[in-house]
Formats: sequence, C-alpha cells, structure tokens
Amino acid sequence: MLEHVLNGLYYGSILFMIASGMTIIFGVLGILNLAHGELYALGAFSAFSIIGFVAGQVAAPTGPVTAIVFGVVVLAGSLATAAVLLPVGGALEAAFIRPIYDRDEVYQLLLTYGLLLVLTDVMKFVWGPSPVDLGVFGGINEIPTTELVGIDYPSYNVFVILIGIAVFAWLVWFFDRTKTGRIVRATAINREMSTAIGISTDRMFTLVFAIGAFFAGFGGAMVSIGPGSASLGMGLDWLVLSFVVIVIGGLGSLNGAFVGSMLVGVSSRVVTPYYPQLELAVPFLLMVLVLLLKPEGLYGAWGEIQ
Amino acid sequence: MSRFLVDRDGETHLRLAEGMELTKNQAVLAAVGLVALLIVPDITRFTPLSFTAIHRGILFGLAAVGLNLLLRHTELVSFGHAAFFGVGAYAAAVLASQFDVSSGLLMLLGSVLAATAISVLIGYFVAGYLDIYFALLTLAFNQVLYAFVLQSGYFNYSDGLNVRPDGLNPPALFGLQLSSTGYELVLYYLTVVVLVVSLLVMWKLVNSPFGRALDAIGQNRTRARFVGIPVEKYVWVAFVISGIYGGLAGGLFALLQLHVSPEPTLYAFVSGEILFMAILGGFGTLVGPVIGGVVLVYLLVQAPFYIEYYNALTGLMLLAVVLFLPEGILGSIPKIGTGLSRRRRDPGLLREDVATIGSSLRRGVSRAATTVRIIVFGVN
Amino acid sequence: MLEARDLRKEFGELRATDDVSLTFGETDGEMVFIVGPNGAGKTTLINLLTGLLEPDQGSVVVHREENGGTVEEDITGMAPEDRVGEGLVRSFQIVHVFEEMTVRENVRIAVLSKHDKTLSMRSVDDGHEDVEREIDELLAQFRLEDVQHEVAETLPHGDRKLLDVAMSFGLDPTYLLLDEPTAGVATREKEYVIETIVEASEADGVTTVTIEHDMDLVKEYADRLVVLHEGRVFREGDPSLLETDSELRRVLLGVDE
Repeated sequence: MLEHVLNGLYYGSILFMIASGMTIIFGVLGILNLAHGELYALGAFSAFSIIGFVAGQVAAPTGPVTAIVFGVVVLAGSLATAAVLLPVGGALEAAFIRPIYDRDEVYQLLLTYGLLLVLTDVMKFVWGPSPVDLGVFGGINEIPTTELVGIDYPSYNVFVILIGIAVFAWLVWFFDRTKTGRIVRATAINREMSTAIGISTDRMFTLVFAIGAFFAGFGGAMVSIGPGSASLGMGLDWLVLSFVVIVIGGLGSLNGAFVGSMLVGVSSRVVTPYYPQLELAVPFLLMVLVLLLKPEGLYGAWGEIQ
Repeated sequence: MSRFLVDRDGETHLRLAEGMELTKNQAVLAAVGLVALLIVPDITRFTPLSFTAIHRGILFGLAAVGLNLLLRHTELVSFGHAAFFGVGAYAAAVLASQFDVSSGLLMLLGSVLAATAISVLIGYFVAGYLDIYFALLTLAFNQVLYAFVLQSGYFNYSDGLNVRPDGLNPPALFGLQLSSTGYELVLYYLTVVVLVVSLLVMWKLVNSPFGRALDAIGQNRTRARFVGIPVEKYVWVAFVISGIYGGLAGGLFALLQLHVSPEPTLYAFVSGEILFMAILGGFGTLVGPVIGGVVLVYLLVQAPFYIEYYNALTGLMLLAVVLFLPEGILGSIPKIGTGLSRRRRDPGLLREDVATIGSSLRRGVSRAATTVRIIVFGVN
Repeated sequence: MLEARDLRKEFGELRATDDVSLTFGETDGEMVFIVGPNGAGKTTLINLLTGLLEPDQGSVVVHREENGGTVEEDITGMAPEDRVGEGLVRSFQIVHVFEEMTVRENVRIAVLSKHDKTLSMRSVDDGHEDVEREIDELLAQFRLEDVQHEVAETLPHGDRKLLDVAMSFGLDPTYLLLDEPTAGVATREKEYVIETIVEASEADGVTTVTIEHDMDLVKEYADRLVVLHEGRVFREGDPSLLETDSELRRVLLGVDE
C-alpha cells in the first residue's frame, strides 16, 4: 500500500511539472496552451539525445559509488535538456502566441492546437515514429534503494518526488518573494497598468512561457530517464491529465496544481493495482466529484463568470 | 409576386417557407451546391477524386454544423465533439456486431439515441461554464469516453468493432441487401438527404425565437438571464441538439466505413478537427462547416499518401487560417470578392500585399530571434 | 408589494448590506429613489433583491393580492430568470444589451420572453404579429423608432440606456429596479431619460426603485426616498428631507459641516 502511495507521489510530481506550467501560463497570459504536452514530450525526446550523449561519456556504473556519479551526470543532462526548452518556449511565444492575445479564445485554442500538431511531426521527423528508450535506468537503478519505514523503494523515484516538491517550492518562492515574480503577478492582474509603469509585458509573457516550457521539458526528461520511454502520443495523454489536475485544483492556482497533481497521482496509483480497468477513469471520476462539490476547484475562483 | 417569390427592400427573395428566404445570389449558390452534391458520384467516376473521402468529409461537416450551433450562437467552444461523433459511430457498430441488427436505419436511430443520452449527461455538467473552461471540460469528457472505450473489452479495445451484422456483408438499407457499389451509392444519397434536412432544420432553428435566445445568451449572459431566459437550460438544450448532429454523423460514418475504432472517431484530435472544420469553412455561416469538413477531411485522407508529415501540414494550415483567414472560406468570399475586384482595378495594391506579408514575416522572425538571444545570453 | 426582510450580505470583512428591511410598492406605481454615498450598498441591495447575489441572512418576499386576500411568497434563493416571471425586473448601471443585435431585435427578445415564446420554433420574422405590435409600442414609448434598425453597440449612450430600460419594460414588470439609469448620460439628456421612464411607469402602474445620484432629479420625481449609508437604512421618507435634514446632507456630501 505504502509503495503504491509513493508511486502515486512520483507520478504526481511529474504531472505537476507539466500542470504547473499550464496553470501559470493560463494565469498570466490568459492562454490555455494545448501544445504544452508536446513541450513535455519534446523534453523526453531531447533527453534521449542529450543525456544519451553525456551518459555515453562516462563509464557504465559498476557499484553504488560510480552509480551516484552516473546519476549526477544524468541529472546534469536533464537540466541541459530543460534548458533547451527555454529558448524553444520563448520563441514559440514570441512568434505565434503574441499576435493572438486579443483574439477570441477559439482562435487561441486552434492556434495552440496547430502548434501541437506541428511539434508532433517535428519530433516524428527528428526521432522517428517509434518510441525511443534512453536506457540509462539500468545504471540509475544501481543506486541503492532507499529504506523508508520498512520498505525498499527505488532511490530514483524518491529523488523525483523531492524534485517535484523542490519545483513547487521554487515556483512559490519565485512568485512570492522575487521582484520579477511580483512583476509577473502584477502584469497578470492588470496589463495596462503594468505597461503604464514601464514594464514590458511582452518580455514578461515570454519569460513565463519559457519557464512553463522549462519545467515541462524537465518533467519529460525525468520520464525519459525513468523506466518509461519517449513516444509521440505521450504529450496528449499528459495534456489531458493536466487539464484534470487544473480543474481539480482551480485554473491559475499554483497550490491547486500541486495538490491536484498529488491527488490524481496517488489516487490513480493506489486504485490501479486492485482495479486495473479503472486506471484511466480514476482521475476523471475525481474531477467530476470536485465539479459537483466545488465547481470552482479546490483553490481557484474559476468557473462561471457572472 | 408568387408564393415563392417575395419582395424585401426592393430585392426579390426566394421564399422556401415561413421565415426561410434566400437572396438571389444565395439561391444560386444553394442550387449549385445541391447539384454538386448530387453529381459527386459521377464526378468521382471520371476524375481521380476520391468518392469515399468526399463522403466522409460531408459526414464530418454535418458534425461541424452541429458544433457550430454552440460556436456561432451561444459563443461556446466545444473541444469535445468527437464524443458525440464517436458515440454515434459506436452505437451503430454495437447494434450490428453485438445485437445482430441488420437494418442501417435502425442503427442510425441507435446512434441518435446514444448521442442524445451522452450529450444530456455531459451537457448537465458543462452547461454552466464559459469560455476556456467550457472548452477544457468538453475536451476532458471526450477523453474520458476515449479512455473508457479503449480499455473496454465490450468495445474490443483499440481494434474496434465491425459494422457487418452477419460478419460479412454491409447492413441493409431500406430493407435491401445491396452490392458494395450499390451500397455506397445508396448510402451517399441517404447522407445527402440527411444533410439537406439537417441544414434546413438548423436554419429554421437559428431563425426561431429559440435561436435568438441562444444568440442573446452568447452576447450577454447576464442580460439574457435578466430578461428571463433560463440560460443553463437553454445551453443544455442547444448542447444536446448539437450532440445529436454529431451522433447522426457518427452513425453514418460507421455505415460508410463498416468498421469503428476509437482513434478515428473518439480521439481528442478528432474533436479539434471538427472545430477546425467549422472555422475553416466559416463559422459565421450555416453551410460553411460542411465546406470546411469536405476540404479538411479530403486533405487529411489524401495527404498521408503523399507526405509523411500530414499532421504538420494540418497544423500549418491551422496557423495560416487563424492568422490570415479567421472568417473561413465561405465567410471570406464577400471580402475576397471585393478585394479581388479592387486589385483588378489597381494592380499596385498587389505589390503592397506582397510587401506587407514579407515585412510581417520578417518581423516575426526577428522577434523570435531576439527572444532566443535574450533567453540564451541574457542580453538584448 | 416587494419586501426586503433583514437582508444581510458580507464580502469578507465588509458588511455591504446590514440588516436592511424595506418595502416597495405599497401603493401601485410608487417611485422610490435610493440615494447614498459611494459604497453605501445600493447596488448590492438591488443585486440581492433581483437574485444576482444571495443574502447571507434575511429574505426577499413578494406580496400579492389573490382572491381578495394577500399571499406572501418567499423568493429568496429563486433564480434571477424566475424572478422575472414574478414581475421583478432590473437594469444595470453599465448598459447590458445584446450588442450585436439591432434595437428592434433587442426589444424583441424581451417581449418574446414575456410571452414565454423563447422555446418556439416558428420563425421570428413571421407569425408573431402580437409580439411585433408590442415592440412597435415600446419603441414609440421610448422614442427609439428612428434607430430601431441600428446595431446596439453603435448607438449613442443615452439611447443605449433607454434601450436597456425599454427591454425591461418589455418584460411587463411589476417592480422595476433601475441601477443609475442616468449614469454616464450627458446632463441635458438626463431629464429626458428619467422623464421617459417616469411616463412609462405611470402609464403601466409599475413600481420603480431607482438608484440616482442627481439630487435635483430625485427631488423632482421621488414619491419616497431611501438613504443608505454603510449598508444600513439611514433615512427613509419624503424627498423634502433632502432640504431639511442637515445630518443627511452631511452624509450625502461626505463632508463634515
């Protein structure tokens, strides 16, 4: 049971890295980015190439110590992967999203949906149509398991959970404590006012979009490193799960995205071993339940605007 | 003036029924459209055009007409219309393969009933939401259905079901067991009849007080409520009507393809495509979505034969429509017409157009380049 | 008669409506004006009465003459669209009309709704002669005939205000609640707007409850005055209070004398 809960937290952490970006981008830019799942997939594919390259530079681990060295190299690779997503996200925002801020939401949805389609084929062009597996997990797995309250649990999963929490903490710190973060929030609340006091909203929006892309890419890299592989369909699957998370947490709410991710992660991992046919249904059932009890989401004020 | 011709503001209008009138141009276009629909089987016999692809396009167009009721009038973006299309298709397939129903018309009835039921259910949850939230929720419900069907043995997982009641032959139409060419042809004309009737019903609907109430809801929900319109209930009704159109289209799709699987009927991409059809054809018009359906489906069906990256092709087309042709094909005809005649008079304008496009492209590229530079090097 | 019974509404720490009890329309066609400084809770009160907001406490009650006796109906919690059926109609401080429709189409929606015809499938252009006749009457009453085929968003502000009110009248109200019908209207047109509203309500015997900042208009047209201050009923009575009550003047002007 405890193992399933931990699996859920692992799953939820990765989900959070995608959902947080979506919720921030929506909160600040007012755009629901349907291509966000593809940025995550792009992260997973890029990780295959980048980490594959750096991991190839070090010897495969033979014992616990070399495994940790190997792990550090892989971690550096995943950061490099996410860093690739920064300019990609920024450029996408500047070139495609910026012209449509004032348009009806149907055009915003269609445009990001168009980007989704193009990105899918870009990945198909670069990495081919079949899933690719980075294959470093064997090496990572040489790191001794972590012993937690009596059970052995893969260290990598614990590590990802910690990263998920760290990302959440960083985002909260960024938006609450840093000057840039506060400016971004002010821009989200009142664009005209921010422009009037000399803030470049364009630059803020690009920054926010790039940050969202960064974490999505990071999440993708985490999955690529783990036992999973990078595939073309992964973006859409996780996109829809992120919707569920956001609906549960409340659109635009960072806390909501975190709690929502963990709820979705844990509930689906805990239920699946016992009722495998419910694997995909659980998140949605959770969503319907939240909609019925608290239509604006756990933390948000979203929903009907009077 | 006869019974069918009336005079409005000095123009002669063709009057089909109470409140259903066409200007001269519209009447000509409608007649051309109808004739084109009727001779499609002949055209495709003598040209390399694909008959099935056009037929499929019309079906998806029908679903887009339904979606357009929400998009154009209540101003709600449904990103989950594949739910109804897929449910309609699966209802027909289940009747054929699990209950040995052999009549195609009965299957269609099943499609309509199933789509009604599912849209009543989903509509109950989403009717109170607006804007992006509405889009997001419809998409989520769409994926629920997809996931459910994909994991269900009853629906034969991702392989899907055959729509051949006896495991071999297509369903009977009007009590006739037809050869495959005959079946295709009869089914096509059934589709045309369904399409024309559906369009007439939709026309009647949007010009009725109910249609105006939906317009009112779309333009100002609060005011609509305070003139006494039960907003959620009406949106719910519109949602169900819209779903029925999708279900009917899906049922016909099942009859046409004789096989139904989750990916081409229920997947979220299909929802995006249906929405795109409405925009592409012109969502400000009644018939636009049908044109959008035929054009897009034809492209989607044919493109994989020529290029591997047909998703990107659709995506790029989408970007182009959003940025340059927001009113769609049919919606832009008047504008393009005047634009062309102005350019015919003054060819200098053409050069300006090229210059405008060129400079906007340059601006986009340089903006992207600057952004990348800022992010990578941290300087401007 | 429309009654507010101990209505209370809080927004966080702020008590916008604080145990307000009032009645409107004891005599048919009464014209009540609500005045008060900004933040006094005037709009909140109207929102509570018409169902845009639900009170934290208290109730909204409609009294009706039926079979020679009076029947009370508690309409707290009833949806706004159903309150319209009870004869409770409002306009907004910011014009709320259907912007992309013509003036005539706007009024038509209201009249169709009054006749419970919004679910009808008969075409709007044919076969609703009674509706069209009523629209003509309303347009004449509010002097909008000349602009009836203009699209609402292109109208000058004064006409938009009148259209908003004309739609409300099209609903055949018993109680009409008007949130600053002259807000944003040029001074010389204010009189015209109020005059038109007064004429229409007198003709139909409608009880009106109007929020108004222009004290000259209030003095001229009010049957009764309600002064709200900090969410409470501060004064209630004859409009001549405006002349005689110095404390009231101080509150309204927001200055200490």
